[in-house]
Amino acid sequence: MQNEKLFDRIDYIRFKNITKKYGSSFAIEDLDLGIEGGELLILIGPSGSGKTTTLRTINRMIEQDSGSVTINEIDTRELDPVRLRRNMGYVIQNIGLFPHMTIAENIGLVPKLGGWDKKKIEDRVRYLLDFVSLPPDMFMDRYPRQLSGGQQQRVGLARAMAMDPPLLLMDEPFGALDPILRKQLQKEFLKIKKEIGKTIVFVTHDIEEALILGDRIAIMNQAKLVQVGTPEELIFNPVNEMVASIVDTDRKFKHMDTLKVKDLMSIFEDRYMIDASLNACDAVDKMTRSDVETVFVFKDGEVLGQIRMMDLMKCKEENIKVEELARPVKSFKPLDSVAFALSDMKKSGEYLSLVMNSSKPVGILVSDEVLLKLI
Amino acid sequence: MVAIETVLDATMEHIVLVYTTLLISIVISIPLAFLSLYSKKLAFLVMKFANMVQAVPSFAVVAIMVPLIGIGFTPAVIAIMLRALLPIIKNTYIGLSNIDPALIDYAEGVGLSQWQIHRHIRLPNAYPAIFAGIKFAAILANSIAVLTAYIGSGGLGEIIFQGLIGYNTKTLLIGAIPAIVLAILIEISFTAMEKRLTPTHMKE
Repeated sequence: MQNEKLFDRIDYIRFKNITKKYGSSFAIEDLDLGIEGGELLILIGPSGSGKTTTLRTINRMIEQDSGSVTINEIDTRELDPVRLRRNMGYVIQNIGLFPHMTIAENIGLVPKLGGWDKKKIEDRVRYLLDFVSLPPDMFMDRYPRQLSGGQQQRVGLARAMAMDPPLLLMDEPFGALDPILRKQLQKEFLKIKKEIGKTIVFVTHDIEEALILGDRIAIMNQAKLVQVGTPEELIFNPVNEMVASIVDTDRKFKHMDTLKVKDLMSIFEDRYMIDASLNACDAVDKMTRSDVETVFVFKDGEVLGQIRMMDLMKCKEENIKVEELARPVKSFKPLDSVAFALSDMKKSGEYLSLVMNSSKPVGILVSDEVLLKLI
Repeated sequence: MVAIETVLDATMEHIVLVYTTLLISIVISIPLAFLSLYSKKLAFLVMKFANMVQAVPSFAVVAIMVPLIGIGFTPAVIAIMLRALLPIIKNTYIGLSNIDPALIDYAEGVGLSQWQIHRHIRLPNAYPAIFAGIKFAAILANSIAVLTAYIGSGGLGEIIFQGLIGYNTKTLLIGAIPAIVLAILIEISFTAMEKRLTPTHMKE
């Protein structure tokens, strides 16, 4: 009973006059919001604005005082919460992988409780790990703490999709990652999102993330919904000062033409550097420890290229050095124009490039979907 | 001189006393620790009581049994249990409650029932702590079981006290050495078991 599918697909989720109070203060005040099936809706706002509370009314982790949440016209309060939750994927900020279970056990937990047989669970786990670009044979039997932050986050996503739910709830899933890793995972997630075609409700406090990933963005402040719309609508028609300042209209988007690479780049750190003579498997270990997904290959102080963790995963089969696997990387100077650099990167399909000052690496430039839309 | 059968019998009595008490302590402690998760009041009472009894000298706990319930095997079991319960309850409770709240939150969020959360999340996370508690309780029980000979529990304590009373070093050693060996065996065997039961991710 509890494992039966409630909905094959989401047509519409509707919040109607939702109010939730803690004591005398509102966590959500009279919220009306609709989510279309298949869209990725972002809930964004400062802390205490009610965005997470709103998300948690969907799976009834929080019960509203008044108002209703309906999914395909079914009031969630009429459903058994356990059954309701089994019909949604859930990803949280601290990822919440169970430390005493292997990666395979973590992903397979809910299917196991749902009575799937061993073979079916293993097949599903393998499929999902493949899907998030983690070779199953390498990762299934590891424990969470043997994984880098980025890898754990991928497992978190795989786990949320274990039961193939039509709806994903994501509460700041990339919040704990460093900026470069975050951008990389966002980029991958964008690709995945297109493939899976699920309805996703996504909480974040990072406006860039919202603009990159969101089909529509709902801006919340002090327990109220302030504006909801597509990224372009919010940037070009903010309803008030607060929205305008959140989407940063003045500072960034109106001065696109004068922005320099150095204004947008992240500072280069040693952990992004790897020696060309390193064996591919050792490189995987080193990257896992320093929690990076892409590194730049250096030989005698010169850049040979870049290499992604994914390119190294087959290291066990073929014993080679990173030198042979390095792919070309673009580089720019700190004073190059951002518009030029970004469109150049887009043309060649790169999303990372090096910023070099004479022959010294000083920064990393990550492609920026939002700026690209506006160029 | 003490006959070899007497020593063997006493050792057997000693072992029975220690493990009976240990088993009863485990059966009582673990459910009590789980209940404590649900009631802050119970948790508070249990912890308070645990810390208090910890402070009372073992010999006093043994002695107080006599006016309360008399002498023999049962009062001895109760006296030992009073001391052995607490490390197990305390460790189990700490093991069960010392878990990242985000994990519990997540488990609820994906539709695990309370029972499933206990079974699959809390309990496995608490294994190392629970086991450490049981090991400590076993060592404690072994040493208090020597004292309970005074209130008629039998066991190796009887021989030791005989030796003490009669200033007979030989008799004293015949009782004391097996008791020490038992303690060392408990330590070794429980440590070995602990190693086997500790999940791989907690080693190193």
